[in-house]
Amino acid sequence: MKTIWKVTLLLGIAAILVLFALGLNNDPRMIPSPLVNRPAPDFATTDLDGKPISLAEHRGKWVLVNFWGSWCSSCVSEHPYLLELARKTRSRSDFVILGVDFRDTEQGAKMFLARNGNPGYRHATDPEQKIAIDWGVYGAPESYLVDPTGRIRLKQTGPLYAGWFEQVALPLLQESTTPTGTPQAGKP
Amino acid sequence: MWIEIGHFAAITAFLLAITQTGTALVGVTLTRPVWVRVSRRATFATFALLTLAGGTLVAAFLGHDFSVRYVAEHSSLELPLFYLATAVWGGHEGSLLLWAWLLSLFNAIAVWRYWATHARSIPWILAILGGLLAGFLTLILFLSSPFDRLFPAPANGQDLNPLLQDPGMVFHPPFLYIGYVGFAIPYAFAMAALITGQAGEEWILATRRWTLFAWIALTIGIVFGGYWAYYELGWGGYWAWDPVENASFMPWLTATAFLHSVMVQERRGLFKTWNLFLIITTFALSLLGTFLVRSGVLSSVHAFASDPGRGVYILIFMSVLLFFSFGVLVLRAELLRAEIHLESPLSKESAFLFNNLLLVVGALTVLLGTLYPLAVETLSTAKVSVGAPYYNRVFIPIMLGILLLMGIAPLIAWRRTPLARLRRDFPLPILLGIVGLLVALWQQVSHPYGVATAALIFFVIGTHGLDVVRGVRARLAAGTRQTGTQTGTTSPLTALWQLLTRNKRRYGGMTVHIGIVVMSAGFIGSGLFQQELDLFLSPGDSVQLGDWKLTLEAVGKAAKYNWTAVEATVRAERQGETVILKPQKRSYGKRSQPTTEAAIHSTWREDVYVVMGDPVKENTWNFRIYRNPLVAWIWWGTGLIALGVAFAMMQGRRNT
Repeated sequence: MKTIWKVTLLLGIAAILVLFALGLNNDPRMIPSPLVNRPAPDFATTDLDGKPISLAEHRGKWVLVNFWGSWCSSCVSEHPYLLELARKTRSRSDFVILGVDFRDTEQGAKMFLARNGNPGYRHATDPEQKIAIDWGVYGAPESYLVDPTGRIRLKQTGPLYAGWFEQVALPLLQESTTPTGTPQAGKP
Repeated sequence: MWIEIGHFAAITAFLLAITQTGTALVGVTLTRPVWVRVSRRATFATFALLTLAGGTLVAAFLGHDFSVRYVAEHSSLELPLFYLATAVWGGHEGSLLLWAWLLSLFNAIAVWRYWATHARSIPWILAILGGLLAGFLTLILFLSSPFDRLFPAPANGQDLNPLLQDPGMVFHPPFLYIGYVGFAIPYAFAMAALITGQAGEEWILATRRWTLFAWIALTIGIVFGGYWAYYELGWGGYWAWDPVENASFMPWLTATAFLHSVMVQERRGLFKTWNLFLIITTFALSLLGTFLVRSGVLSSVHAFASDPGRGVYILIFMSVLLFFSFGVLVLRAELLRAEIHLESPLSKESAFLFNNLLLVVGALTVLLGTLYPLAVETLSTAKVSVGAPYYNRVFIPIMLGILLLMGIAPLIAWRRTPLARLRRDFPLPILLGIVGLLVALWQQVSHPYGVATAALIFFVIGTHGLDVVRGVRARLAAGTRQTGTQTGTTSPLTALWQLLTRNKRRYGGMTVHIGIVVMSAGFIGSGLFQQELDLFLSPGDSVQLGDWKLTLEAVGKAAKYNWTAVEATVRAERQGETVILKPQKRSYGKRSQPTTEAAIHSTWREDVYVVMGDPVKENTWNFRIYRNPLVAWIWWGTGLIALGVAFAMMQGRRNT
């Protein structure tokens, strides 16, 4: 075996191990977004059925904006939770889910929903990634929680996980649905 | 009480594994055979103790002892008996224990079999295997113990993940682990050969059957995984290039390369260093496959819950093992310089060389595709996923190359092949290949890879068939000469039988090749001709798919064991043939996520595959219906491969 091969072999192994070592510290969910607590960039485009859709039309409700694409394999693992979440929150009047299908074709997206189940909420199409760029999306899936006044309250990088709604979103929802308007307005 | 005994047994086994390594090393460095004998005893004791430890865990499952945390998390009172025992490997802790138990079993067998015949290497083998086992037991005992108690004990467990309650999942992990762990023995032999400086043919001859055994177990394990995905996940496919699937596929590729290249070393004394490199790599990749799932480094459908301490330990363990193994290889490689060189590019040696190159490059492309998302994620903040398009693009051409070589293999000779022989042997198979090409075009295969695969399949069958026919003829002619009569006493069938049984390795190997060809046909059939319908059906609705007419007759309820389901009754008709298919949407009560149970009507030509989706409105459901041509060929091909390997394993050492 030539020296060059020996060195290559050992360096290659070292490189893989270093990669793993660095990978251990990865927590993909912990990327701060400068957009948190800032107004969410509005968008107006068409949904997967070609009907117009915008963020502004949901003002007054909490909106979970989920960025995804049929090319994204982590979205497949996230999908069962979205199905469950959509079913659980269907009856809530203060909360909607919107998908943003970016860098994707309509056909691909429909195929994805057919394969993995259709959660039933609407999806804005963003083939040119305009919305994704406005919102500072790094990859898929990423989700943003927008409050009724249109501000982004938090960002989840990577798949949503079982219990996310109850542990992370619900406290925010409850804190603001406790009446803030009338009683306080009456006080001097 | 019992589980504490099991825990204690495992701790004792851990101490004995360390003893095994320690005493073997002392024995060999001070040349005190009595120390090595202690090491041998320790091996057997370790196996007995780990069997006891595993037994108590199985007993805890069978007895519904929910005060054991692992049982509470992976079982329930309602779990059927069949899945109760297998739930033992349904989670991270238990599956690691299975790994360790298998390793101790193989250790014991190896020491028992090779104690007398391999006296020089056995101390090193004992030391290496003991160290490996101790490393695993550290992970089990200190970082992921299945023996922990849970206070207060719950009245019922959380149930086994419903996706795992499937026969495919019962067999998938054990077979995979037998494969992974099986490579530990040839690996230990290779390391011992390097350390003692006796890296001749001895270790290869000794471990030939081990390697074959591990290889076939790995093959079956991988296919069971695909079978499970096909039947249980309900996405109509069997392979998704998921990082963990890849992790089992990489050692398979390098092990396949190893199986071929050892023949060159056996016959011609070439590729010595390369073989050591291959077996070390295979075992390292096996470990990587086991660990990748558990370290939390990669996200995958297979991922177990991750834990940072565990990840760090696994990383340290891998680093020690990799640097030790490859370090020794690099330091001792000088011993192995071969005096012989390839004589001609038209020889078996060089065909094997190319086969090895393709397989190793294949393994590298899979490794790259698996690690790339991790690298991107670590070095930048983006998240990418590498999926089927990448693998289809880079991997299929490599597989085509391998198929081509597989076709050439039986007809070329060692050292050099006379051109006249090539001219005599190849026209017929090539003609068959062209027939295959025409058949593909006639069947409207439009994808170039599909056409190429079809042609190569015919070509491989041609060369393999020709080889057998030649052999039978030669044997008949010899028989006639011997008896001296024109009538001849041997029938072609006897001649065939003699031919096959005289060289079981060769014809076993050729059977494996045919198995691969059958599987390849399945891959093109299902990969290029899958038809898919996604639609809403109400009872009474009919739909046409291929020549099948499918009618949704009714939707009702079904229940068994621990699940309830919405069950559809679908009648599929084709030219007087009627089948009833019953796809289900199952709920396992405790876990809210329902699972799909695809209903499949499987024939040699195609599978009709029906999956029931969610209700869309009153009395209307979403259905996905696939026509998957030739899927059954994949399972049959695997059966042929298993037969071929069993046949090849029946032959002991070569006498010449």
